[in-house]
Amino acid sequence: MIRILVIAISVLLFYLEPIFGLFSPIELNNDFYVLVPRFLIIYLIFVAIYYDRKRAMLYGLLFGLLYDVFFIDIIGLYSFIYPLMCLVASFTVKYIHQHLIVSTILTLLLVATVELLLFLFYTFIGIKTMTFTYFYQHNLIPTMMANVVFLLMFGWAFKYILLNRFNQRALLLQK
Amino acid sequence: MPQFFSNKRLILLLVGMIFLVALISFSLRDRNHASLPEQLIKDVVGFGQSMFSKPTQYITGVFDNVESLLNTYDENKRLKVRLEDYVTLQASVNDLRLENDELRKIVEKEEDLRDYNPIQSTVIARNPDQWEEKIIIDKGEIHGIEINMAVMTAQGLIGKVILTTPYTSTVELLSTQNPNYRVSAVIAEGKEVFGLIEGYDDKRKELILKRIDSEYEVKVGQKVTTSGLGGIFPKGILIGEVTEVTTDDYGLTKLAYVKPAASFSILDHVIISKRTITPVDGTDGENTEADLKKGEGDGS
Repeated sequence: MIRILVIAISVLLFYLEPIFGLFSPIELNNDFYVLVPRFLIIYLIFVAIYYDRKRAMLYGLLFGLLYDVFFIDIIGLYSFIYPLMCLVASFTVKYIHQHLIVSTILTLLLVATVELLLFLFYTFIGIKTMTFTYFYQHNLIPTMMANVVFLLMFGWAFKYILLNRFNQRALLLQK
Repeated sequence: MPQFFSNKRLILLLVGMIFLVALISFSLRDRNHASLPEQLIKDVVGFGQSMFSKPTQYITGVFDNVESLLNTYDENKRLKVRLEDYVTLQASVNDLRLENDELRKIVEKEEDLRDYNPIQSTVIARNPDQWEEKIIIDKGEIHGIEINMAVMTAQGLIGKVILTTPYTSTVELLSTQNPNYRVSAVIAEGKEVFGLIEGYDDKRKELILKRIDSEYEVKVGQKVTTSGLGGIFPKGILIGEVTEVTTDDYGLTKLAYVKPAASFSILDHVIISKRTITPVDGTDGENTEADLKKGEGDGS
């Protein structure tokens, strides 16, 4: 049961992201603020930290590929960034404590890195021309705020489910 | 980290990087045509996506209904004022339409650039990372959607179809920064003044109408519609309203800023217009009609 739950949550988050994307950009005082839901990568980083690095990278590759093909028509962008973030997360977590607060901060840093990498990529290929300060004020800060809310609401639940699954598998391996 | 960069891993990393760069450049070059596996993935993911987005839209619809119920009194007051004007307007529209039909019969001209077959569609997803202004709708080739068709809401034009698969299509919004995105437009108040919508000012959130002949006078507040002369869009879809008129960089033609009539921020239901007159080579799209027929436009 809990085994299916791990993949079911990632499928659910993959489909929920564009639905939350429909509410953005938000208009405040004649300025548009872009909130990008990054639910899936947050979850995958949690998978990498608390459950299994290889599994997380595999899911990252799979969902990244789907994301690339379905939304942006540039294959290899998300399917590279997602597994990379999972890899970085699992390497970092070896040197630090696996407390929920620590992993929350680590996840937020990695989400910010994803945004930054995408900003660099899109300015590099010239699809969007945007100054860094504009990106910082109108994209990065609102996006991070939205994702902090999501992470604070569901971070503990992800940890609970994934640790349960980790223990379950450890028990099976012992037998 | 000596372990991490062992020989085998280093080679794997390098090969991976090369593969990645090749893949990105390959898919960047030909973004207007989806290959068969891509179409398959798009359709499958699109099916799942509409499973999720339709219930959500139902729920947000209920909230909208409650909200509009709360505003009913105010709206009713305002609408009553307008109602009388509306009746007279309706009468004159009917009269003009009848006259137009009769005149058409006399000159035996049946076809009209304005005629189009509307296809109703639901937005199932908006590109969540929003680096590009794209939405995905739940109608595709099977429902008669083709590349370069005009997409609009009840308020006005919002974009055009750039990619189709059998069951979904991708729409690029007017607010894109793609330099190849042009729409042939007209300001039809008094004299017809033609121009091209080219580009979007991200700071002002307004479209830029370029190449207006400087002999003609353009005033702030005039309505801009599609001209139908681009060859692909039907005539007379509202684009927006002129907010400022200046001359262009070279001082040869006029340039106007146009505030779009439709809002691009929250989109749920859109209409795709299939023009009844055969489309021809034109500027409304990035590709020319000849490219479309061959099915191998290079996007320039």
